[in-house]
Amino acid sequence: MAETTAALRALRPDTASRPAGGTRALEEPEATPRRRTSRLGLLMLAPTLLLLGVFFLVPAVLTGIFAFTTMSSATGISGGAYVFTANRLDALAGSGVPPETITELRTERAVVDAAGLAAAAKAGVDERFLADIKATLLGQSFAGPRDFKRALQALPNHPRRIFELKQAMEPFSHAILNTRFATRDQAAAAIRSVAPDIEPAVLDRLLSASYTGWVWTSENFVRLLTQPQTLRLCLNTVFYVAVTLGFSVAISLFLALATFYLPRRTATAFSALWLLPKITPVVLYAILWKWFTWEGGFLPILAGHLGLPAFNYMKGSVPTAWTIVIMVNGFVGASIGMILLTSALRAIPVQQLWASEVDGASRWQQVRRIILPQLKWPILFFTIYQAMSLMSSYEQIWLTTDGGPGNTTDVWALEAFRVALFDYTGNLRYGLGAAMALILVAVGLIVSLLLLRLFNFSDLVEQPRIET
Amino acid sequence: MRSRNFSSWPVVLILVAISLPILVMYAWLVIDSFTDTPPGALLPDEVTLSHWRFLIDPSVTGNVWASTLYTLIFVASVAAVVVSLSATAGYALSRLNLPCRRFFLAGIMVMHAFPAVTLIIGAFLVLQFAGLYNSLAGVIAIKAGMILPLGVWIMKGFYDTVPWEIEMAGVQDGASRFTVWRRLVLPQVWPGIIALSILSGIETWGEYVLPRVLAPTTDFPVLSVFLNEVKVPDSVNYNFNLFKSVGLFYTLPILVLFVFFQNRLMTIFGAGTKG
Repeated sequence: MAETTAALRALRPDTASRPAGGTRALEEPEATPRRRTSRLGLLMLAPTLLLLGVFFLVPAVLTGIFAFTTMSSATGISGGAYVFTANRLDALAGSGVPPETITELRTERAVVDAAGLAAAAKAGVDERFLADIKATLLGQSFAGPRDFKRALQALPNHPRRIFELKQAMEPFSHAILNTRFATRDQAAAAIRSVAPDIEPAVLDRLLSASYTGWVWTSENFVRLLTQPQTLRLCLNTVFYVAVTLGFSVAISLFLALATFYLPRRTATAFSALWLLPKITPVVLYAILWKWFTWEGGFLPILAGHLGLPAFNYMKGSVPTAWTIVIMVNGFVGASIGMILLTSALRAIPVQQLWASEVDGASRWQQVRRIILPQLKWPILFFTIYQAMSLMSSYEQIWLTTDGGPGNTTDVWALEAFRVALFDYTGNLRYGLGAAMALILVAVGLIVSLLLLRLFNFSDLVEQPRIET
Repeated sequence: MRSRNFSSWPVVLILVAISLPILVMYAWLVIDSFTDTPPGALLPDEVTLSHWRFLIDPSVTGNVWASTLYTLIFVASVAAVVVSLSATAGYALSRLNLPCRRFFLAGIMVMHAFPAVTLIIGAFLVLQFAGLYNSLAGVIAIKAGMILPLGVWIMKGFYDTVPWEIEMAGVQDGASRFTVWRRLVLPQVWPGIIALSILSGIETWGEYVLPRVLAPTTDFPVLSVFLNEVKVPDSVNYNFNLFKSVGLFYTLPILVLFVFFQNRLMTIFGAGTKG
């Protein structure tokens, strides 16, 4: 294939395409193995590799890693602590932890010891009061804050104000409930101090349950496999990609052919018009579609004048919402397809068309027998490429229907984005979102491999070149 | 001959029919920003400049000029990074002898096809670690990283077409490879540099998700975020006229490029096929 050789040329520096001429001798050194690495080349490549490494590869790899964690905005990204909240203890009580242990963990006991006294002195508690405590209560422990408070109030120098009393109580408190322990050992020691004969298995369970940071897990994937919402998302995505693809391929093919045959001026006007969806900023494009289809917008008013049902087409019903999602994305796709197919059309030797005209072929016969067979590969390339980008596209849907009404027009990429970065409840589940994104990458890789098999890496290489 | 008498009007008719949504949307984009339309009517009945008051009165939707400046900085920085890195890396990959060249090229291809949604989740966390979250610098770095694979690819394509004889002549005359690149080759690829600047400029000008997610509360939002958050006091409904004036203002630079470089844009975007 001519294209293959052109692309192979593109991949070898010394045989890079150049005006045909008698310099073939220059290609020879390519075969000799004694070429040295160009230091200038490394130097010129280094900044690019650095930027791509830090801001492209690292994020991509991190996404892969985070897919196997429970990371979310609740766990934070850098690590966590061990905290027993009332809710967690309630949940634990139902899962085989002995109720006595739970009760022990809940009790807020107070122990008067040297460490507590030192901490209280540091906290600025009245010295005479502290001396009282040391004299009468040292070594005692109290089962609850109420007992401790009563004991303190019995002392001669106790503060009158309840606030100060509370402040004095704090250093002696040995509560586990709602206290943050920075490390696992600290948390374990604290639990042992209230429940010395706790079984190691139970202790382990308690510690894992109380950890607030992220942990390694494969739960994300299990969850995606088991929850019924996944099937819905998959079906939506397949439907969206298939229909949008069909729509944009059909329109772009028609546009390319029509502008090829029409008089130059008309053709330019239409191809310019169809370039607009691609170059318009996505936010403005979405707003224009909103105006076009929302209540009080163009289409509903027009429908109202014509006596047709007028409502918010974008969010009012499922069929209209899908139609709009497909058109919004399909127009952009058609824009890209028109550009690609037009340049492919121009590459067809025009003599073939002249020859067919001499033989009396009609336009339809020309399209059917000469043009379409030669456009087969560009169309296939565009289809697969567009399938890949549609699969991972979400911006347009996010800004128009936002997956609504309900989540009927929700697709995989949009859900991944929302789960990880834009959840309305405020809890961003990075881990789950990353898992969803990872699946997207996996599917994308399979499609790319297919693309490479079909086109040969080298052919693909040729595609995105600008001719000037 | 049949084809000579081929009548084009049915084709034009179909073309007009499928282009109607675009025609209507863009015609009314301009019309509505200068006129008022009574509720329930399709055609305006009054010409007004009141929808453009946001340009001089920050109380309408906020400070649009500061946002414009921010957007310009954003776009210019991304374009500068992308163009300078692509111009050097593209040359290295096209002309200089490097180990694993094929590997780099294949890697750049894969990067270009990599789903952006996957990247943005990781980017969010990387910027948080690096302390660049919620800053324009972080968004610039990520956006430049996203365009760079395509940029390197395009520039490599341009270098590939420069005749080797130019370089040979330079080297014969005793110039170093760097001087040859700087003085002889670079002037040959100006069209590529301009094309890449325009491409990355348009891409960045329209970017919405990255600034919205990676820098949600900077002092001034970039124009895309600004436009999406246009709020009209004492109104629950969308004021589409205001939206359209801000939108038209926002997209004006692109429309200007579009008018001047219309034919070029086709080829430029043929290179940047990313949905």
